[in-house]
Amino acid sequence: MRVGKIISISELNVEVLIDDAKVSYHDLLRVPLPNGGALRLEVQEVNGRMVKTIPLGSVIGLKKGLDVESVGEGLSAEYSDQILGRVFDSYGDPLDGRPLNSVHRRNVYDRDLDFNEIDINGDVLWTGIKVLDFFAPMQKGYKMGLLGGAGVGKTVLIKELINNVYKGCNSNSVFVGVGERSREGKELYDEMTEADLLDKMSVVFGQMGENSAARSKAVFSGLTLAEYLRDVKHQDVLLFIDNIYRFVQAASEINAELQNMPIENGYPASIESDVAEVEERINSTGNGSITSFQAIYIPADDLTDVAVQTISSHLDGQIVLDRKVAEKGLYPAIDVFRTRSNMIDVEKIGQRHYHLVEETIRYLARYQELEEIIAVLGIEELSAADRQIFHRARKLRNYFTQPMFVAENFTGIPGKFVAIGDVLNDVENILNGVYDSVDEDKFLFIGAIGK
Amino acid sequence: MNDYMNTIVNESIARIKQRENSFNSGRVASVRDYILEVTGLESVGYFEEVHVGAKAVGYVNQIRENSVIVAVVSQGSPVYVGDEVTATGREFMATFGKESKGHVVDMFGRDLLNGKRFEQTMAVRIENPTTPIMDRTAVNRPMRTGITGIDMLYPIGRGQRQLIIGDKKTGKTQLCLDAIVNQKGQKTLCIYIAIGRTKKGVKEIYRELARRGAMDYTIILAANNDDKPTVLSLTPYVGLAIAELYMKQGLDVLVVIDDLKRHADVYREIALRVGKTPGRDAYPADIFYTHSRLLEKGCQYKNGGSITILPIIETRGGDITDYISTNVISITDGQIVLSKKNFDKGQKPAIDYGLSVSRLGGAVQDPAVKKIGAKVRRELLSYLETREIYELANTDEMSPELKAKLQRGQRMLAALNQYKFSPIPADQMVATFTALVAQPEQPKPQPVQTEQLQADPAVLKQSEEVAIHGFDDATLPADYRKPAAK
Repeated sequence: MRVGKIISISELNVEVLIDDAKVSYHDLLRVPLPNGGALRLEVQEVNGRMVKTIPLGSVIGLKKGLDVESVGEGLSAEYSDQILGRVFDSYGDPLDGRPLNSVHRRNVYDRDLDFNEIDINGDVLWTGIKVLDFFAPMQKGYKMGLLGGAGVGKTVLIKELINNVYKGCNSNSVFVGVGERSREGKELYDEMTEADLLDKMSVVFGQMGENSAARSKAVFSGLTLAEYLRDVKHQDVLLFIDNIYRFVQAASEINAELQNMPIENGYPASIESDVAEVEERINSTGNGSITSFQAIYIPADDLTDVAVQTISSHLDGQIVLDRKVAEKGLYPAIDVFRTRSNMIDVEKIGQRHYHLVEETIRYLARYQELEEIIAVLGIEELSAADRQIFHRARKLRNYFTQPMFVAENFTGIPGKFVAIGDVLNDVENILNGVYDSVDEDKFLFIGAIGK
Repeated sequence: MNDYMNTIVNESIARIKQRENSFNSGRVASVRDYILEVTGLESVGYFEEVHVGAKAVGYVNQIRENSVIVAVVSQGSPVYVGDEVTATGREFMATFGKESKGHVVDMFGRDLLNGKRFEQTMAVRIENPTTPIMDRTAVNRPMRTGITGIDMLYPIGRGQRQLIIGDKKTGKTQLCLDAIVNQKGQKTLCIYIAIGRTKKGVKEIYRELARRGAMDYTIILAANNDDKPTVLSLTPYVGLAIAELYMKQGLDVLVVIDDLKRHADVYREIALRVGKTPGRDAYPADIFYTHSRLLEKGCQYKNGGSITILPIIETRGGDITDYISTNVISITDGQIVLSKKNFDKGQKPAIDYGLSVSRLGGAVQDPAVKKIGAKVRRELLSYLETREIYELANTDEMSPELKAKLQRGQRMLAALNQYKFSPIPADQMVATFTALVAQPEQPKPQPVQTEQLQADPAVLKQSEEVAIHGFDDATLPADYRKPAAK
């Protein structure tokens, strides 16, 4: 059904003059093209008869005056068991070349959670990664952010978590690739297929080669799939999002094209509500839980970036990766001072763990100060006590590196899954000087000591 | 009277209907350097080629309610307000001379060395849709540069995008030329894309490559400093479109883009000129997408062909954390960082081994290279870090283990030195470093063994007591209510 015609076009903004039909925010329109295909448009703004839309495809060759039709519904994704083991694009269409026997589709924006639906209880979830379990332990239903600048190891960590938690938990999971590399997406798919692990997983890709409409919608499609698993299948769902920052980035691109006034660094003024719209849907209910791991890119290594801060205010914990640590070849390259979790609480993890974290941080903080002193005076100028802290801190630092299963290609060392009990014992022993006579290099890239 | 008016209007409508192109010409309403606002051009398509008489060629950049914005790509004489603009009905495309191999060319199919157009040409779409995710396969074949510091430590695979980043005069372009020269006999097509480099500089690169016989399999695609910014901004896409043609025939292609910082700046210039909202550092909001979709064209294709991309970025004051650099780092599959400090110390290539990364790592190395590479990288990084700490320390008081480590690190660093155009074959790299790592007077790195870590039992007992002291079992998660017995 014709509802209007195109009156202006730019790369990410097509304006439509509507005859008299009713259209509203998030409606889909389509433009039939001379070659038989069609371009879909999503309504962003309605101003009298003037409607601003974002095109869900390339606008090359598009002309003014072309007829625009109504599709009758907004973006939707499959909402049935058909989603398992499948790969979708941002708009819920299958990418793996197999037809989708659609049973039921659901609008991707529909679901909001009421206050009383949200469940905040959950069991502890150990990841087998020493630094994570020690400094930022997880609980089912948590949102854990993995923050890092470009090239410090976010994706490797996400993949290790998929390896350790998804394979270990045997629960359903959804992976959403937003604005990341197509190569990595394909590798993940191939690895999962080869390991026969795809059957409990659904994947959505809106990667960095796609336009901003695709990158901003992938999250919504992914959420819909996760909600199906939680609400209908009553599962404990693992949701991996790599990378949620790209969603905000895509929103900025759209905002700029719609000629809305931006805030600092070009972000949309609505950034808080844009992020909340997504994050508030990621929650556990009485039906099931959603535990999410979200990679967050830090633009220009600026941790105070508005988008990063806005997203991190929704998180229950965060792991911050640091270029200075990565530079030294210590992976995972974690900045322990900025890494945190709501679980670090005497009542939740117990006194022993809590006390060890405190003590470790104290050692490492002093170590940082000592490093500066050494740079000027040399190591021999330190007092005996400081020298002890210095050496033990270096051992701790080295101990918190870990060979990863998914990084065997880089390190040449097979991955290790380390139980929290071992971590606590080892850290305690290092702090107490049990290993004072052991060379610090021996602690690099090992699992638990002596195992 | 009414009838009369109706007749006139109907006649006009009939005329318009018969001559379908009656809207296909318009007039220039305003000129802002290479950005024209045109009125009357009603039925042009987005990105359609348009002509301003015989004076200029451009493409449709924006279609507005009452006018069209045209970006000019080539211009012979000045454009005035009121000049007629005609549509062509076809998408703006680049021209590619089929005999381009061995030549310096531009996106209009001209041979820049003699100024002539190639005889056999074809039109190339400036941008094809990104290669679908399912049409890609794993990147796992090495693309050897002949440089030990790269091939052994931070390897590049066919289909990988590896950023080369560093200050002025640190050997960025040289590294890429080395890689191109090393492709001789590898059935690889190389495309060197020069964006906004000096003409003199491009000519020198041509001479360097020609002298070493590398132009036989190389195309230099240049957008010179004095070309229109639009040309500078489109040329890398054209280069990748050409690369895609060859990749789809099953060939390996190596593309060098020199450089993307300049490209970002040119793109910013155009964006601000057409009135886009500035974002961080005044770059438009879609600057990430501008580079991500360009670099996503690099891939290992399902038919066996591949596109490897080496984009270059010039930094200032060695800062690789500025906006454009981190954007591109977050797109590429790794980066080779070149440091001015190392360069001045005489380390060639001036690779900063701490900051460089290859996300593919051992996946794209031969087993022998991979084995020794992982070892050398670990030792080298550990050496570089330890070196700083013990810079001021007294060597006499060091443990022999530490002393040996420092010496070995020094030797490794020296062995990584290598001058331009002197590639080293993989087996030679392996031999050199296997010998270095295994030198008898140095203790070999050993895996942690239990007995070594068995400490004084008294201390151990004491520490266990500390551990048990003062915590309430009931508050602990089940996993560690009781400390594991050792």
